[in-house]
Amino acid sequence: MKNFMMIFIGADYADLGLSPEELQNRMGKWFAWGHKMEQAGILRGGEALTPQIRRIVGENRTVTDLTSAEVKEIVGGYYTVEAKDFDAVQDIARDFPDYDLGGTVEIREIMVFDK
Amino acid sequence: MEHKDIDHLFRHHSGKMVSVLTRIFGLAHLDIIEDAVQDTFLKASVSWRKQQPDYPEAWLTKAAKNRVLDIFRTLKTQQKHIGQLSTGTDAIAINELFLDKEIEDAQLRMIFTACHPKLDPRDRISFSLKTVSGFSTKEIASALLTKDETIKKRLMRARKSIQKADLKFSIPQGKALKERLETVMEVLYLIFNEGFHSNKKEQLIREDLCGEAMRLCQLLLKHETTRQPKVYALFALMCFHSARLASKTNINNEVLDLKHQDRTQWHFPLVQLGNTMMNKAVDTEEFSSYHYEAAIAAEHLKAHSFEDTDWDKILQWYLSLYELQPMPSHVLTMAVICLQNNDYKSAESYFKKLDPDTLEQRKYLYYGAKADYYKATNNLKSALEHIGKAINYVNNDLEKQYLLKKQAAWLKET
Repeated sequence: MKNFMMIFIGADYADLGLSPEELQNRMGKWFAWGHKMEQAGILRGGEALTPQIRRIVGENRTVTDLTSAEVKEIVGGYYTVEAKDFDAVQDIARDFPDYDLGGTVEIREIMVFDK
Repeated sequence: MEHKDIDHLFRHHSGKMVSVLTRIFGLAHLDIIEDAVQDTFLKASVSWRKQQPDYPEAWLTKAAKNRVLDIFRTLKTQQKHIGQLSTGTDAIAINELFLDKEIEDAQLRMIFTACHPKLDPRDRISFSLKTVSGFSTKEIASALLTKDETIKKRLMRARKSIQKADLKFSIPQGKALKERLETVMEVLYLIFNEGFHSNKKEQLIREDLCGEAMRLCQLLLKHETTRQPKVYALFALMCFHSARLASKTNINNEVLDLKHQDRTQWHFPLVQLGNTMMNKAVDTEEFSSYHYEAAIAAEHLKAHSFEDTDWDKILQWYLSLYELQPMPSHVLTMAVICLQNNDYKSAESYFKKLDPDTLEQRKYLYYGAKADYYKATNNLKSALEHIGKAINYVNNDLEKQYLLKKQAAWLKET
């Protein structure tokens, strides 16, 4: 078994003008997905990220503070899961709730070093 | 942890929080308040992904309380004049406002604000759905079959009217209460009808609208000053109608008239609730139009089949309703009832009272009903003439199909 990270990229909810009702429905779907992974015993961790961004670029270490509205796409969070291979994770990612909002799931394998 | 699925929790809580915060900061700061409340739900929707709190409602209320300080800060940086949260007793007073009873009180104030006569009647519904019910602009637009832009304009205009008239965030008292309660009930009745009568909307939206109207009506019933017989009557009417909501359309979303509805689909717990409410509603000398409409709806629900309908009784209720609301559409309904009852002479006398032009878009109903009358009295020639007019005036495609079908059948008899 290997460990993978599912990285969620897309618009921030705050910039989409979702209603309380829609937010509740989304939350329910996220909750159901997390619960499903937990039940399957494959969930290793995960966090949601706030939309503030501080970016440091270049040799001069230029600092910019950005809001989600300025960067159309933003990493909103991640889950780490245990799975056989990419195909298995792809299958897990089917339930990601925000495809309809233009969201993206990026699957990356967590590197293991030889001991 | 088990998934605590509370229907519309966010939507309903949004209305509660906006109301309480408006009570603290005043209607002038509605924009800031709505943004702050929205932010709470955004945070909740993300932080609850992994685990929902054991008491979601308490969590949200606590979050709203925390917003009080945020809003104070925002207003301060914007240099807006607002009382200082300086002493501990202020904090206690604010804390009190988040008790259930006070939340309900704040919501009632919001309803009375939304239904204030200074607001354009069209703006009242949109503003109520937004601030009291927590709908988004988009949700209101799809509920009312209007454009987003139109709703935005209505909400803007409502706010402007509120600022201009410098409305107090309060429940009116005495004589003013009586008049304002009328408009509140009218708005609730309209919201309900938006849900109940439109076949162009999805079932879910229709249920949402009817449910909202009933929830707000219940709020009125919870409060002593607004717990009045006619409010009970309005609630009973909503119960009776809602009981039939699922059977009103078939699987193709076509409207079914009472004759063709599957009566086994009627929801009887709602009928019972309606009856209970009706018993409280009749504890008065003075009946409102809602009393009579509820009585008519109840009479239809009592009949086990369409043929069992007690048309005499329904006609009596319509006569009483007509005394309160002398509207031509009631006369037409009475004519149709007489036709159902095979009482052609009375039907004719009602038709004589009517000028079809006063019915405006519903003129076709007059010609349709009159066609039925001629057909029943064996005057096929006049029947065909009138059904032709009905087809000419009808707008709705489904109803046109229905009339054309009838016309074709009659033509075969000539």
